[in-house]
Amino acid sequence: MGIITTSKSGRPVLWTSLVAVLLTGAIVAMYLAPTEQTMGDVQRVMYVHIAVAWLALLGFVAMAACGLAYLLSRNLWWDQWSMATCEIGWLCSTLTLVTGSLWAHAAWGTWWTWDPRLVSSFILWAFYSGNLILRSGLDDGPQRARLSAVLVIIGVADVPLVVMATRWFRGIHPVSPAMEPSMRYVLLASMVGLTAIMTLLLVRRRTQLQHESLVMQLQMQADEN
Amino acid sequence: MASKLWWLIHKDLVIEYRVRQAWPAMLLLGIIVAVVFNLQMDLLPEQRPAAAGALLWLAILFAGLVAIERTGAAEQQDGCWDGLVLFPLPSSLIYVAKLAVNFIALLALECVLVPLFVVLADIPLLRHAWAMLLVAVLGSLGMAAVGTLVSAMTHGLRQRGAILSLLVLPLLLPVVLAGAEASRLVAVGDVGTQWWRWVQFLGAFAIVFTTLGIVLFGFLVEE
Repeated sequence: MGIITTSKSGRPVLWTSLVAVLLTGAIVAMYLAPTEQTMGDVQRVMYVHIAVAWLALLGFVAMAACGLAYLLSRNLWWDQWSMATCEIGWLCSTLTLVTGSLWAHAAWGTWWTWDPRLVSSFILWAFYSGNLILRSGLDDGPQRARLSAVLVIIGVADVPLVVMATRWFRGIHPVSPAMEPSMRYVLLASMVGLTAIMTLLLVRRRTQLQHESLVMQLQMQADEN
Repeated sequence: MASKLWWLIHKDLVIEYRVRQAWPAMLLLGIIVAVVFNLQMDLLPEQRPAAAGALLWLAILFAGLVAIERTGAAEQQDGCWDGLVLFPLPSSLIYVAKLAVNFIALLALECVLVPLFVVLADIPLLRHAWAMLLVAVLGSLGMAAVGTLVSAMTHGLRQRGAILSLLVLPLLLPVVLAGAEASRLVAVGDVGTQWWRWVQFLGAFAIVFTTLGIVLFGFLVEE
């Protein structure tokens, strides 16, 4: 039985740094980045949209990798990572749809259109949601880990569809929007900052899941005694 | 191996023929959905192919879920599922057999729904019958591959029907979109490059998920 150990040293500094990164990113994106000629200020939502869309995709691949690792090793440690990635990925996927919809309304004049990449993003979100619901219907343990691992591996077959959709089909979603160099720097900073924040949330959630699992094991041992 | 596969398929088809658990409900639901959809379709003739193609594949999806949900239903009582899994067979063979049964069920459904849409929506889906047949076969294979796998995943779960639908519908959305677009092109008589691209998409989908099913099914049936 492992012992729960937590180190609080350095945590406030880390959180403060991340909040500072987030605020700086917001200020730079809102006030310092140049205004796009055609769409105006609404284009600034792209600095968040592209970053969270990237994280949603990355999260899905990471979740599938954790699922595969679980099936091969049968170590529940991988399942905890998979669960934490699913929750963070769902958040990013939801933000992708919301920010994309805001941008689409300004750019295309509609909140939603059946463009292939939008459909693929929606499928990704539905998969994250489906995995969370599947897991909520099962008790903690190997069965839940096994079924969830298989589901995410099936789901990751969808990720190439997301990436290649605009190449396979003719859609209206921009593949690689043209940007000023200064806009690209802001976008890059936004992606790095949001990736760092989501990674921290991921690690925190995984630790929480580990503690929940340990508490459950202790409860079961207490019940047996 | 082929004879074992045949007996597994034969067993399920005979049970369905004698007990009629899924097919009548599936066919009836498909017909009702098709009629209701077409009641709402008050469009100009040139707009009908696009709408009818999408509605056809939605009707196939909704009605097909009835058959998919009943996958393995015959083995749910008296520990028959455990008996089947313990039988000296590769688990992938059980998957292929269940997939084949679902594939046949979906093809039967399409044999009813496609002519029904031709009549109700007044669109020439059978003008290029071979093209429509190819779309139907590949679309059904993709649906059956995913449906069989997810059905095995939700075997014995609480609220199985709801969870199955939640998982299957997003996965099958690409098949519905590709099937709808390919059907529309068949209806307008454009079975050229664009139609072929959608057919390739359906084929790739079917290959990817059938392969995944063969590889992953063993993990779902282990205790």
